[in-house]
Amino acid sequence: MKQILPPKAKISKEAKETMQECVSEFISFVISEASYKCKREMRKTINGDDVCWALATLGFDDYASPLIRYLYKYRELEGDKAAANQDKGIADHDSNIEDSNLDRY
Amino acid sequence: MRQAGTYSGILSGGISGKTGPHLLPLARIKKIMKKSGEAVKMISGESPIVFSKACELFIKELTQRSWMVTMQSKRRTLNKEDVASAVMATDLFDFLVNLVSESPLEMDTSKYS
Repeated sequence: MKQILPPKAKISKEAKETMQECVSEFISFVISEASYKCKREMRKTINGDDVCWALATLGFDDYASPLIRYLYKYRELEGDKAAANQDKGIADHDSNIEDSNLDRY
Repeated sequence: MRQAGTYSGILSGGISGKTGPHLLPLARIKKIMKKSGEAVKMISGESPIVFSKACELFIKELTQRSWMVTMQSKRRTLNKEDVASAVMATDLFDFLVNLVSESPLEMDTSKYS
């Protein structure tokens, strides 16, 4: 909250607590909608697309668009990470094979 | 009944590094998501991350709107009533109306008798 307000602004303790409750309610509100969608489509797991869809359905269109881009970027990064780990795993495996070959000769 | 202390971590920031690049702690978000109802059984790994960003945007918008109310009253301290006023003035935040009202709205029971 403080990052959004001017430097000299103050926030009362009650305002912070109210904001926390509002955020919890926001999460519950959106997740209920996403959960309903999953149930209709006979799926058990709520994924990022469901969350984005729920946000758009409930009127949070301004949030949905940047979040979809954020989600795709996250998926790309995770994909790169997984690929890098796989490559590393193969490289380690290769080096082990080489070592074992050396042992033979 | 919700206790503020339980959720204080939500606004504590991700400085510890455990939350990665996110401002809001993912573990707490996951907890709230699972508490939302019995229908919520499984959540993908990416969902709390998307929610973390969504909550940032939500907090940003609600704080900005609340601060406008504070400024109109020529104050520098954002208080609970400013948050309530911002909620009442924004259609998008209708789902929060009961939460921020100090006294619950009285229902007109005459039509049910």
